[in-house]
Amino acid sequence: MTSTYLIRIRNFILVAIIQVLIFSQIHLFGYATACVYLLFILKMPRLTSRNELLVWAFLLGLTVDIFSNTPGLNAAAATAMAFARNMVLSSFLQKVTSDNFVPSVRTLNWGGYICYTLICILLFYLLLFLLEMFTVGYPLQLIISISSSTLLTMLFVLVIEFFTRN
Amino acid sequence: MQTLLNFLVKHNHWFFFILLEGISVMLIVRFNNYQSARFFTSANCVAGEMFSVITDATSYLSLKGENKQLLEQNVTLLSEVQQLREELYSYKSAEALAADELFLRESSDYVFNSARVVNNSLNATNNYIVIDKGTADGVGSEMGIYNADGVVGVVYLSSKHYSLVLPLLNSKSNISCRIKGGDNFCALQWDGEDTQYSYLVDLPRYTKFEQGDTVVTSGFSSIFPANIPVGTIDRVEDTPDAMFYRARVRLLVDFSSLSSVYIVGNKGHNEQMSLEDKIPEK
Repeated sequence: MTSTYLIRIRNFILVAIIQVLIFSQIHLFGYATACVYLLFILKMPRLTSRNELLVWAFLLGLTVDIFSNTPGLNAAAATAMAFARNMVLSSFLQKVTSDNFVPSVRTLNWGGYICYTLICILLFYLLLFLLEMFTVGYPLQLIISISSSTLLTMLFVLVIEFFTRN
Repeated sequence: MQTLLNFLVKHNHWFFFILLEGISVMLIVRFNNYQSARFFTSANCVAGEMFSVITDATSYLSLKGENKQLLEQNVTLLSEVQQLREELYSYKSAEALAADELFLRESSDYVFNSARVVNNSLNATNNYIVIDKGTADGVGSEMGIYNADGVVGVVYLSSKHYSLVLPLLNSKSNISCRIKGGDNFCALQWDGEDTQYSYLVDLPRYTKFEQGDTVVTSGFSSIFPANIPVGTIDRVEDTPDAMFYRARVRLLVDFSSLSSVYIVGNKGHNEQMSLEDKIPEK
């Protein structure tokens, strides 16, 4: 039990560092930003309690926020995504099961995994950009930012999944 | 009572969710507050320290371009010194004392310093830059930041060793400018879209200018000395009420490759501000 948490804390720090130093520096065409740190939440075992997911998502979002001068933005969006995660995940299950599996291509197949990650990431960016542009509101820019960022993150998520699937 | 308790326990994750979202929204809203901004941004020492280590490692990659820029600047400075020297010499015979005194007073109003950019953002509506000089080096809020190309921004707040800069690419940024060769001054504001362009708003209609004219600082705000270049006029349009011009300005500074900047502070700034504060508001 304790070792599970130690591993999780280690992964947390690792994911935060990789996000802040590599992925947060990528701004494709000035619109697309990849938030690959969401994988940390998406890859939690299925039966992880909702409260635990919320805490991890909030802390990870806040950490990313502190390094990118956007206090609260990532935290709010990631928390909301973590809240919706279990509902989205259970709708892509092949059969009724009580296994505590980790969501991946092996457990959900490619179709299920892509839908699951796409819906979660889309929800995250929708909230993130809506909160960020709260005072500005250019609908076209909003749509471009959300769709390009979602596609970019999905690309990284699928590449990572492809190389770690076994 | 029992049913209510059961309900609360069963749906506790909802309350937890709302609590965490509340904290996040509070952080977003309170960002303008000095204390929280200091604590939750990269002006805090842990994040600042980490970014400066990373910048240490990556700054070698851009050394070549940097050196070229420095050389170019040195050349212009040297030629300027030469020119001034000749000018001074020509006056010296006639009014030696007066010229010396004038020159000294003009240059001693401002204090200069240099700093390195340790973190920089481009893609948000309100971008920020972090530099590695703070109150310990005499850097404080309302000091101007520029580099060899032109104006970068204004210091927003400082910790002991790091400062958060409000660059031109921030919708809150507002810098007093004028068109070179003209007298009218107006404000430069960013619309949050393209990182290469900013806008001169409320330019009076009788202002004379052409496409390609240089926009420089006005020197009225007491943050920047006059005549630091900002950009060139790119396109002109009417404001919606057709009372003023609105000019798109192509910025001279390339914000995507900022690495070293100069800081300029006006010794008389506080005095000027306190004097302006005394003006009764009507």
